[in-house]
Amino acid sequence: MTAETLTVGKPRNPVRASGLRHLITPAAILIALTALYAWVGTLELDSIEQRSLNAAVILAKTVEHLRMTVIATALVVIIAIPLGIVASRAKNRLVTPLILTAGNLGQAVPCIGLLVLATFVLGVGFQTALVGLVAYAVLPVLRNTMVGLQQIDPALIEAARGMGMTKGQILRRVELKLAVPTILAGLRTALVLTVGVATLGAFVAAGGLGELIINGLKLNRLPVTIVGGVLTACIAFFIDWLGGLAENLLKPRGM
Amino acid sequence: MFDRDPEGVRIELRALTKHYPGQPAPAVDNVNLVIPAGELVVFVGPSGCGKTTTMKMINRLVEPTSGEIRIGGQDVLSLHPDELRRHIGYAIQQVGLFPHQTVGQNIALVPKLLGWPADRIAARVEELLALVHLDPAMFRDRYPRQLSGGQQQRVGVARALAADPPVMLMDEPFGATDPITREHLQNEFVKLQKQLRKTIIFVTHDFEEAIKLGDRIAVLKDRSHIAQYDTPANILANPADDYVAGFIGQDATLKRLALLRVADVPQEEARPGRELPRIAADATLREALDLMVAHGTDRCGTPSGVLTYATLCAAVGSSAVAREEVVAGDR
Repeated sequence: MTAETLTVGKPRNPVRASGLRHLITPAAILIALTALYAWVGTLELDSIEQRSLNAAVILAKTVEHLRMTVIATALVVIIAIPLGIVASRAKNRLVTPLILTAGNLGQAVPCIGLLVLATFVLGVGFQTALVGLVAYAVLPVLRNTMVGLQQIDPALIEAARGMGMTKGQILRRVELKLAVPTILAGLRTALVLTVGVATLGAFVAAGGLGELIINGLKLNRLPVTIVGGVLTACIAFFIDWLGGLAENLLKPRGM
Repeated sequence: MFDRDPEGVRIELRALTKHYPGQPAPAVDNVNLVIPAGELVVFVGPSGCGKTTTMKMINRLVEPTSGEIRIGGQDVLSLHPDELRRHIGYAIQQVGLFPHQTVGQNIALVPKLLGWPADRIAARVEELLALVHLDPAMFRDRYPRQLSGGQQQRVGVARALAADPPVMLMDEPFGATDPITREHLQNEFVKLQKQLRKTIIFVTHDFEEAIKLGDRIAVLKDRSHIAQYDTPANILANPADDYVAGFIGQDATLKRLALLRVADVPQEEARPGRELPRIAADATLREALDLMVAHGTDRCGTPSGVLTYATLCAAVGSSAVAREEVVAGDR
């Protein structure tokens, strides 16, 4: 060991190292929500506004919104990650463009149009909104899964094969582990997209904070629209923040 | 998996051919070779000559088009490829350590695949790290990223040795290091192999490395045709053709001197005078010659006597003896 000396410090804890930076987002959200509450408190609400702007309704709409987002994202994970794996395999080169085109289509078609079309088949309601949300959010996760798997150093795969790991073992123990940061980044994007697009669920009677926004617009009650909009934005920022924490916690050590 | 006699296992390649579909000529054409048990055979040749492909057919990372491979008498092509590879050590130039696993986990990989009990794996990891001169307590829990290039190569070799395979395939395992580290690793590896006596196929394009490490060298040309297969000394002394001679380069004699140690050749039994330069018994004859030329003398002192220029010439079989008599007569 005389020829090579190397000093190695303990790996820095990534979460703690950037701890302050991680507190900026929740602090901003808290400030926004407090300001919103204070502002609404100064208004004289008429009966129409009171029907929307009370704790029970806001809570119910928020829960609906989150439920839609979480279920849609879970479906996206179930659909997009396996598809991404299939698309990344060299032997599947022929189907890869098809899978990518389908993913691109889901994002390129206006979501509102897709929701309307889905209504003809499924009627209005929660499941219709899910179709639109899933179609919209598949692409980032699909693409990042593909890229995450394809960017792995081929020497690692060769070493793994040379040591007698099976294809399944290589996928689970090496490829997917190393692709975790990229896949999580895609998932984070998908989540944030979904929170925003879920407001359109109100058009197909799936509830959510979109209902506040649309009602406010229809009845010409600006405070109602603003409350719905600000709450949606806060949820999006909050989920993005959670995603960032998850990326730091779940990324493989040693990288 | 392979029947081992005490000497290790031998590898036989018979009419081994790889023809990639759509290519006009085979990449590897009808290779016949026997690698004796416990020997290190170096495949040396220019890039693209098929040496790596030939090696990769032995652990079936490349499936042969036709031909036969036997390891310790066992027909390799009848075995399950993944199972086969767990019993053949494999080290490559890029090392390919898994960045998300610690050094210890990397080394433990094949034993784990083979289902060794945890305490046996832990003991083996310690043993191997010590074998490649890395302090287990210090390195076991580090990640590959935290190691220097040379240290990574050592871990790569340790990982290839982990399940104590009788056969090792090594594709320029020291290629990606600086010259000083490489020489260091080569020297250590020579010592290690003296201890382990594995049957090793070592691929390189560096003829110096081939001479240094190989018990035998197979000089390959296009399509993995064997231009010459012999010991380093014999290849240097009698290159089979111009191709081999070209590969050796201009200084074949110096290279042969580098293969011999001072202790290997006869020395005049005389007490060396004070004025003579001294050389150690384990130095090479090339170093002895260097010393003589540097001091403008034709002899140097060794621990057991005096080494002369004539002995050097005799060691490589040239007839400088007559001249030596003239020189001696002048004195």
